[in-house]
Amino acid sequence: MSETFAIKTEGLIKSYGSFQALYGVDLEVQKGEIFGFLGPNGAGKTTTIRCLLDTIHRNGGSVSVMGIDPLKDPVAVRALVGYLPGELSMEANQTGEKLFRYFNQLRGGKAEWDYIREMAKRLDLDIKRPVKTLSHGNKQKIGVIQAFMHRPELLILDEPTSGLDPLMQQEVLRLVEEAQSDGATIFFSSHIMGEIQAVADKVGIIRAGRIIEVAETSSLIGRSLNRATVRFKQSVDVASLANVQGVTVLGHDDGTSVTVQVEGEMDGLIKALAGFPVLDFETQRPSLEEIFLAYYKDGTD
Amino acid sequence: MNTIFRYTLSRSRGGILGWGIGMFLLGLMIVPVYSSFEGQGEMMEQLLDAFPPEMMAFFGEMSSLDTIEGFLEIEYFAILPLILGIYAITSGGGMIANDEENGTLDLVAAHPISRSSLFFGRFLSILTGILAILVLSWLGLVVPAQAMENVSLAGIGTPFLSLFSYILLFTTLALALSLLLPSKRITSMVVGIFMVADFFIQGFARLNTDLEAIADVLPLKFYQGTGWVTDRLNTSWFFGEIAVAVLLLLFAWWRFARRDIRVGGEGTWEFPLISKLRRGKVEVSGD
Repeated sequence: MSETFAIKTEGLIKSYGSFQALYGVDLEVQKGEIFGFLGPNGAGKTTTIRCLLDTIHRNGGSVSVMGIDPLKDPVAVRALVGYLPGELSMEANQTGEKLFRYFNQLRGGKAEWDYIREMAKRLDLDIKRPVKTLSHGNKQKIGVIQAFMHRPELLILDEPTSGLDPLMQQEVLRLVEEAQSDGATIFFSSHIMGEIQAVADKVGIIRAGRIIEVAETSSLIGRSLNRATVRFKQSVDVASLANVQGVTVLGHDDGTSVTVQVEGEMDGLIKALAGFPVLDFETQRPSLEEIFLAYYKDGTD
Repeated sequence: MNTIFRYTLSRSRGGILGWGIGMFLLGLMIVPVYSSFEGQGEMMEQLLDAFPPEMMAFFGEMSSLDTIEGFLEIEYFAILPLILGIYAITSGGGMIANDEENGTLDLVAAHPISRSSLFFGRFLSILTGILAILVLSWLGLVVPAQAMENVSLAGIGTPFLSLFSYILLFTTLALALSLLLPSKRITSMVVGIFMVADFFIQGFARLNTDLEAIADVLPLKFYQGTGWVTDRLNTSWFFGEIAVAVLLLLFAWWRFARRDIRVGGEGTWEFPLISKLRRGKVEVSGD
């Protein structure tokens, strides 16, 4: 039964001394899907991932990765997985190329150098430069390439787009989708809802060490939360905006500007604003914590 | 394991060469320094008489300073455990903790290698480094000493063999403690204090017989850097230190295999009590 799942955890518990990080996490990730693992900082995303790879040992529950218990055979699990850590650190004096050679040797030489060079080109990375001379974003690109380079059956990516500019973020998300097309399963953690929505088939939401919800990504789209600040050329009556579905007026300033919160699609607000002399329109993405507070007020806390 | 061994050795080759060449040059210099003292035994006697007995006690049999054997014992072999002990503490204490503290171990450990391969691959590279430094140190002394009478290559090798077991002991002690204590800094401090305390206790034990019981069980007691020309290697002491080092190594391996690889923000970088107190403080301040 568990062979249909790339990842399956039941009642996963992990403590660090007296601090309990995971309180019985249940997850099922089907083979071949992109699973978004969403949660604010400190929610337990990285701890869950590290239990999957057995770089930390679980205190309770069961874990199966590609049908193997990582506690019993961690080497076999890691051979099937490409991993990008959330806090990526690498030897500062080594070049990207040397690191790829080292990681490739640790994997028994499974990587294809043509594929490495192709990814480096797509991500605009010079692999001949020492890590210490690279920006945070370029270091992240090395991390991305080393995770993909041996075409693993399962990719576990902990905040893969962290530190990348928007264009490169899109390129990494394309790599993720291509890997899925090639048959890989992707377990992808993030604290950015939009990025999960862009690629994931299914989303698991974790908060304070507990899974709050596992849902199809499409069901989250209607729950997206945005904040918009609109400035007008002259004073207008913004009361009508409050009647638009999903829009809540948070504040306004003498009718020359208004800040609203929009649940779901922005279409209604945009159409309503068409009748106003808009000078400036600025959207802000609220923090995941704010989204959680909005949607999971009666949750586990 | 072979990949880990070669990579770790290549990464630390600069340090090994630095220490090895430094020790080689020290050996090259120390014999010519003796030559400049040779024949001035009477003046040396007068100088030594001027030192207080407490200070003399640290150097053992100072009256032998006017012979090459005595000179090397006092000016060279007596301080080698402290000098190379620093290397032992740094390399042993940092074998796992260095990469753990800078965050690189998490990614390496997520590759298909067992903890045992990672551990022993790295340890073998440290062992190779220690042997290389000791061989270079020995060569540094052998080259100038060849011109001297009563000094054999094997005779000079005896203290280096003894030094090997001593250094190995401190390397494995630092390694074992680095897997128990919250940070490499604390490990270095604890093992460093122990090593220096051992040095002082051995010295004071020559003045105060009450300290002999303690001195007799400390590692420096079993270091055979003195009496090396006439005495053969005390194999019981040598293999005794090696045995303790092996036990410490096995403990460290056992601990590493069962322990979490630490990354930032996990709260395992402090002593449990301090961590608890700090958390309590944060909760109070958060109210």
